[in-house]
Amino acid sequence: MSMSVTTEFDAAVGPGIGPSGIAVTGVSRSFGSVVALIDATLTVPAGSVTALIGPNGSGKTTLLLMLATLLTPVTGTIRINGHDPVTEPERVRAVMGWMPDTLGSWPSLSARAALQTTGRMYRMTREQAAVRADELIALTDLGDFADRPSRVLSRGQKQRLSLARALVHSPGVLLLDEPASGLDPAARASLRHLLRRLAGDGAAILVSSHVLAELDEMADAAVYLAAGRTASPEQVAAAGASARAWRIRSLDTAALQRALAAPGVVGALVQVLGVDQLGTLVQVENEASAAALLHNLVLSGVPVCDFGPAVGKLEHTFLDLTRSTGPDAEATK
Amino acid sequence: MTDSRVFLSGLWLIVTLELRQRVRGVSWYVLLGVFMLLVGIVTFLLWLATAAWLSGGGGVFSTIIFFVLLLGTLVSPALSGNAINGDRDAGTLATTQVTLISTGQLVLGKFLAAWITALAFLAAALPFLIFAVVLGQVSLGTIAVSVLVLAAELGVIAAVGVGLSGILTRPLFSIVLTYLVVAALSLGTLIAFALLGTATQQEATSVNYQVVSSAYDEQTGKQSDIVCSTAQTSTHDVPRFDYFWWVLAANPYVVVADAAPGSFDDGGYPTDLFGQIAVGVRSAQAAPELYTEYNECDEAAKGYRDQEFADGPTPQETYDGAVPSWFIGLVIHLLLGTGALTWAWRRTRTPARHLAAGSRIA
Repeated sequence: MSMSVTTEFDAAVGPGIGPSGIAVTGVSRSFGSVVALIDATLTVPAGSVTALIGPNGSGKTTLLLMLATLLTPVTGTIRINGHDPVTEPERVRAVMGWMPDTLGSWPSLSARAALQTTGRMYRMTREQAAVRADELIALTDLGDFADRPSRVLSRGQKQRLSLARALVHSPGVLLLDEPASGLDPAARASLRHLLRRLAGDGAAILVSSHVLAELDEMADAAVYLAAGRTASPEQVAAAGASARAWRIRSLDTAALQRALAAPGVVGALVQVLGVDQLGTLVQVENEASAAALLHNLVLSGVPVCDFGPAVGKLEHTFLDLTRSTGPDAEATK
Repeated sequence: MTDSRVFLSGLWLIVTLELRQRVRGVSWYVLLGVFMLLVGIVTFLLWLATAAWLSGGGGVFSTIIFFVLLLGTLVSPALSGNAINGDRDAGTLATTQVTLISTGQLVLGKFLAAWITALAFLAAALPFLIFAVVLGQVSLGTIAVSVLVLAAELGVIAAVGVGLSGILTRPLFSIVLTYLVVAALSLGTLIAFALLGTATQQEATSVNYQVVSSAYDEQTGKQSDIVCSTAQTSTHDVPRFDYFWWVLAANPYVVVADAAPGSFDDGGYPTDLFGQIAVGVRSAQAAPELYTEYNECDEAAKGYRDQEFADGPTPQETYDGAVPSWFIGLVIHLLLGTGALTWAWRRTRTPARHLAAGSRIA
């Protein structure tokens, strides 16, 4: 992506002054009696993509709103490239791009006009904004719809427009709330590539999503939120290391079943769960026992063509953490 | 760029964005066309009704101004009453607030756009106003003051609408409340004035002395041997409108009418609707007479010669003798408008400390 257009404000503040990326320490927020976040702590270093994962209502959007300078935390501190969103919202806004989970666009403006208007809201000149709008239309593949009023755009097209708007001022910190929802597979793939490239250019990117398999492919790190709390690194490590299901597919299903039934093939730490359309599921305690199982199956002459975790690492950790924190969350209420 | 230029260019960006968003093409021009047609019909009928080719265009001019005020106050709440909370519902408020546009620019820009929209009605009525001026008898002072005060009143309605849309969460509710504010000022003041006046009635006393019998001398034409009755006292209740005339000062129609310099004919009668309303409102300032005495015997002794059927003061004398109230009303309205905008600004500021129950920020 070209970073040629910078606003005056960018030039004044400049990237690279002060610590870059997102740093959140001990942030809480409640709405009346409803506690949305308790003691959330996370960092997103520049040049990386971090996934923000949590069940519905866990406080993901609340956290993103606070990072986006729209909501104040009750306690705790937030730094965006070293700036406090509460006391210096304008400096944060100059370097931060936010894509909300709601698809808001000015209905009677075309995508191009909306991007130009947004650019001018970041104090670009008319010409700069026009150039930048063209770049973003090409980048998000909106060329065919760029001059239609945005109320006729489909959900996926609006989603791409929303992403383009977040990128107007080439922000160094990017906050994306469910960016992939409503996108077709091709658009999802290009979103992934785009985010990796932006991170490669030095942006700090925080992505919340429910499509965990996709985050697996693009996120360098993950932050788990459950009932308003971020999971500690220890919890994440423990959850990631716990027993998980693996799926085995063989060219000869009967041979696989025979081998799994034979003594000595399945180790003590492995338990056969059953067979579904996609293959046989086994519960494996850790990666070492998975490797041993594969070794034994191949030695037994089973033609294994597919052997891997049934759920992605993020999803596995997410489900495990959700299970373990669920009762706690109930108790605090 | 200097700070003020940055502020103004951002402000103007919001104004143009608002106008592009809200003033939507065809339907808007149809509305303006219908409005022009109505004003045209009203102008023609007034021209006939007031015999304007003889008496001048004062009546036509003042009625068109009131018509623009009526239409403006009917349309403006619908166009401005969801400026902020409607954007929040559409998801376009927060995406603007994360840019370098400040809350002040946002609220002020939306207000200016709503005001400009209302002024479009004034602009559409311009040909007919010019026609009325061409008919003659409309002073430059009347033209300038009434147009300026009308524009200010339209601005007040726009400010109240935009302000309420920032204060309240639900667009429907803020639009309805804006209409209620307009109704309270336009009709509520009249109702309050009438009710308060009649509810505080006071007893007025009148004393009469009548001639019981007398002898009339044909030669001299004089009454003699007049026998007078004792004092006959009667009482009746009179409303005290003079306590409450200031209630009417808050009425936008009264503000416009009272602000225009009075224009009267040789007999002291107002030549336009402004004058008629202003005389009516200002005459309410005079206290009713609570004690009247009439002695017929005295009149009889004088031979009824000097009996005065005293004319009351002319409308012009009433007008000139009373206190003008329009600037009080205008100041109240300006305070109302700026108050609503300030409150909306405080409610819309980000990062938000509090959220109204049930509201969603983005």
